[in-house]
Amino acid sequence: MRAACRRHADTQVSEAVSDLSLDATPLSSCREERAASCSGRVRTGIGLRAQHHAQIVAQRPAIGWLEAHSENYFAHGGSQRESLRKIRAQYPLSLHGVGLSLGSIDPLDRQHLRELERLVHEFDPMLVSEHLSWGSIGGRFVNDLLPLPYTEEALQHMAERVGQVQDVLGRQILIENVSSYLQFTCSQMTEWEFLTALVRESGCAILLDVNNIYVSAMNHGFHAPTYLQAVPAAAVREIHLAGHAVNRVGPREIRIDTHGEPVCQAVWELYAQAVERFGPVPTLIEWDTDIPALDVLVGEAHEADRVAQVPRAVAA
Amino acid sequence: MLSLPELQFRFVAALYGGSYDSLAQWIDDDGIDGEARIGIYRNNMREAFAKTLALEFPVIERLVGSDYWRQLVREFQANHPSRSGNLHHIGAPFAAFLRRLFGATPYAYLADVAELEWAYQEALVAADAPALDVGALQSVAPEQCAKLVFALHPACRLVPTGYPVIRIWRANQPDVPVPETLDLRSGADLILVRRAAASIEFIALLPGQFAFLQALSRSAPLGEALDAALAVDDAFDAAQALRRFVALGALTGASI
Repeated sequence: MRAACRRHADTQVSEAVSDLSLDATPLSSCREERAASCSGRVRTGIGLRAQHHAQIVAQRPAIGWLEAHSENYFAHGGSQRESLRKIRAQYPLSLHGVGLSLGSIDPLDRQHLRELERLVHEFDPMLVSEHLSWGSIGGRFVNDLLPLPYTEEALQHMAERVGQVQDVLGRQILIENVSSYLQFTCSQMTEWEFLTALVRESGCAILLDVNNIYVSAMNHGFHAPTYLQAVPAAAVREIHLAGHAVNRVGPREIRIDTHGEPVCQAVWELYAQAVERFGPVPTLIEWDTDIPALDVLVGEAHEADRVAQVPRAVAA
Repeated sequence: MLSLPELQFRFVAALYGGSYDSLAQWIDDDGIDGEARIGIYRNNMREAFAKTLALEFPVIERLVGSDYWRQLVREFQANHPSRSGNLHHIGAPFAAFLRRLFGATPYAYLADVAELEWAYQEALVAADAPALDVGALQSVAPEQCAKLVFALHPACRLVPTGYPVIRIWRANQPDVPVPETLDLRSGADLILVRRAAASIEFIALLPGQFAFLQALSRSAPLGEALDAALAVDDAFDAAQALRRFVALGALTGASI
């Protein structure tokens, strides 16, 4: 049984309010100056990881730009987004999404798109990208980058979705090729033919992940350079470099896209061929798991500069 | 020919433990068996989910032990699969899941601990809001004050529990090698979770203060919130509580 409430006395309430300190803390608002976006060839960039934020702000490593995973910055508050502002004040930024599930026949997540648009509007990125993949159906998400069947139906669907995103964002987006561990028997064309057709149908650009080409080529038995030669050179506006792991399933090797190792020799060689074909395309070192010290990432970026023969004198 | 929607439904069904048979003829199994290939994706999905949940509920993992944790995560994922492209959200239904599992057992405290851990996660990413403009309050007429409605700062959470949850949380932090044994009957923390400049804080409130703040957070006018506090503690000091909550930045906005 609840005891009867004692009604408050109005004076007690008004005294409590008037008793509050009269110091009003002024709201702080500051706008960081935006770093000018680089035009022309930039030095190699690195993927932005939470554990490196403070160090990047303090030490200003000699890299050309940074790429952030869009979803990690959807939070409306907290230190991550604030930290990103400081970094954006020092470097050009690219936004790379992993969660839009563009290839899924589920409708596009409108809230997700709104958050992305907010992020793009605030941070004025040099590039915005997503993946040639899907990751959900019937509202259940896999949170992975699943391969599409390379069919006319999938092409039309993907082109329509890319178009929707480009309309909402008011800009071209880049679509990245993913590593895959299976191929569908119903595919009507190769992956590079599909990607090329997608560029034509939707007007998107290509984020070419050279490691992913290598992993898929080894897993499915195609010739990696064929992929490089087949995609339209003018459409390639960013290159990713990353590491991978070699596993076994029974007696057979399979390469798994862990993005958790240094770039391997074969991928450096493929990158050299990519530079020859595509020219000075912004290149990014991607390292998503077992994150090493910042120096290691910067070292990989400098190696990519060397392979691409970027002059040391070029300003970051 | 398999349509894209049908292929996607069958694929995800297979990943979530359904039959592979309806997918078999559509997957090239040259060299490596198609079912093993699907297994790679299933493994990726489970690992990403488990890793994220462990990052969000490290105390629960430590309390139940790694073997049982793996089992718990599997059951949770089957019942509450990810519903977003942002993996962060998977933790939202976890405390309620634990309450359904353990509510009537001696492990019921796990649900309360999970509530606190999730409140911590929410506070980390919640929007910021301007501090309460106390200067403006001075112009409110005394007889109007009871009608004032405040808002709880978006990065604050109120977590009522039936156990000494703050001590359980502290005892199971990574820097504590061997957690002390706690008497589960030694407290029933009523917790204000707030985001300070660099970290998340847990503040144990007295019952009157908690009732007061909880009422305010539900948009009760100040007079009603005071009644709620007095019902729990007839010595409740409204002035002191307001001063404290304003100083903590727990309140924003004020309107009549």
